Amino acid sequence: MKRIFGLALGILTAIGGFVDIGDLVTNAVVGSRFGLSLAWAVVVGVIGICVFAQMSGRVAAVSGRATFELIRERLGPRLAVMNLGASFLINLMTLTAEIGGVALALQLVSSVNYLLWVPFAAIAVWLVIWRVKFKIMENVAGLVGLCLIGFAVGLFLLGPDWGQLGRQVLQEVSTSTEKASTYWFYAVALFGAAMTPYEVFFFSSGAVEEGWTTEDLAESRANVLVGFPLGGLLSLAIAGCAAVVLLPQLIGVTALSQVMLPVAMAGGKLLLALIILGIVAATAGAALETTLSAGYTIAQFLGWPWGKFRPPAQAARFHLLMIICLVVGIGTLMTGVDPIQVTEFSVVFSAVALPLTYLPILIVANDPEYMGEHVNGQVLMVWGLSIW
Amino acid sequence: MTAASDNQSPRWLDAQLHLLDRQVLDVHGVPIAVVDDLELSEIPAGQEIPRDTSPPVITALLSGPALATRIFGGRPPESRMIRTPWITVREVGVVIKLSVGRDTQDLSWTERWVRDHVIGRIPGGRHTPKVEHAQSNDRGGS
Repeated sequence: MKRIFGLALGILTAIGGFVDIGDLVTNAVVGSRFGLSLAWAVVVGVIGICVFAQMSGRVAAVSGRATFELIRERLGPRLAVMNLGASFLINLMTLTAEIGGVALALQLVSSVNYLLWVPFAAIAVWLVIWRVKFKIMENVAGLVGLCLIGFAVGLFLLGPDWGQLGRQVLQEVSTSTEKASTYWFYAVALFGAAMTPYEVFFFSSGAVEEGWTTEDLAESRANVLVGFPLGGLLSLAIAGCAAVVLLPQLIGVTALSQVMLPVAMAGGKLLLALIILGIVAATAGAALETTLSAGYTIAQFLGWPWGKFRPPAQAARFHLLMIICLVVGIGTLMTGVDPIQVTEFSVVFSAVALPLTYLPILIVANDPEYMGEHVNGQVLMVWGLSIW
Repeated sequence: MTAASDNQSPRWLDAQLHLLDRQVLDVHGVPIAVVDDLELSEIPAGQEIPRDTSPPVITALLSGPALATRIFGGRPPESRMIRTPWITVREVGVVIKLSVGRDTQDLSWTERWVRDHVIGRIPGGRHTPKVEHAQSNDRGGS
């Protein structure tokens, strides 16, 4: 019974934790411009993240090594430094975008300018990292993030012409006003939004944080293989809402309020409140994950003690680094840059930097010295290679 | 390459593959550093080496500001490198495990400085989180 409960909890957490500010914005933008014609990019991205999330979790569970230790070991210092630099900067950009997302969502609730919410959001993130247990942090953010199901509810309430939506999925470019290059640009962006590098850092380091062993592997696999595709459906629901309401009226998505507009039209205040709660939880959860990832990458590269399972004083540089990253994030947002634009940049750069992060995981997952009997099967290896 | 105090059965270690850039853990499993360089026993420079001399052995693992010099060339001054004597190495596997604790090592002065001057002074900085490490888990979010 406890096992079933644990499994259900894990799956729900995976669904709620799948969507972050990148998915929210990119899917809504794409939905409003191309309808559902880019749904395939989401599907490919979800398959990719499933393959690599469970692979990095398995590597961490079997060998006890997290991603960046392996990247340095495998690529040598020269390549690894470039890798670290790129990954860290993209992660910092994502972190900034997530905090901006929390602040924007809070602005919608409170009508207080988001710039005033930014420091509070960042301090709240820090407090959680400082005090809250890893597992509670994960589960609460994931479960509250489930409120994003409101997007799926909203799509049904809108009562769209399902046949037309279906045709959009099969069409290549749905609108004649958009250029083919824009279409492919957003295909890459959607892919990057689903497969953001921090997810791999976080997944492998989180497995170490929670002390996974090989016995936990089956459960983690179930979480990933069931939870992420369902999370991907939420992404599609966001795009679907935008496709039904915003596309016909040629409304471009440039603000978070436009992402929620279709839901507000369909479900009224109650559903809107649910969605906003979901967005706050999803972006705050992702802000926690990116902040921790910033610490994980550098600490693992330089061999520092790291992890939330230690008292902060025993992972001092790791904690100091995260504080600095949060301060940089606040500073960036305070210059008045548009968080939505930061998000769009971060997902595109994420897609470009994907091979950097994913290749070392792939190499090590195929290395029997680390993995013993748990090396990749051939099917998985082919999948991994083709995605990479 | 053989180690100076190898008490295990002899086995080949590739310095590049098995030692350099490996994570070093102390006796409690706490990460200490990454191996940046190796110290070998002295080979007299500029002299002819007699035929029956034993080959050089690893005397210590070095960590320190060697990253920049490994990338751009050159050598950091010897005094700035932190030595971990090979004699304290207990196991070389996917990580290098030492047989000594962290505080007896000089490896982490920056860590100590940040702990004593920054993180340790923030309220709650020294609390021990209660973790049920190595319990069954349920996680997934990304």
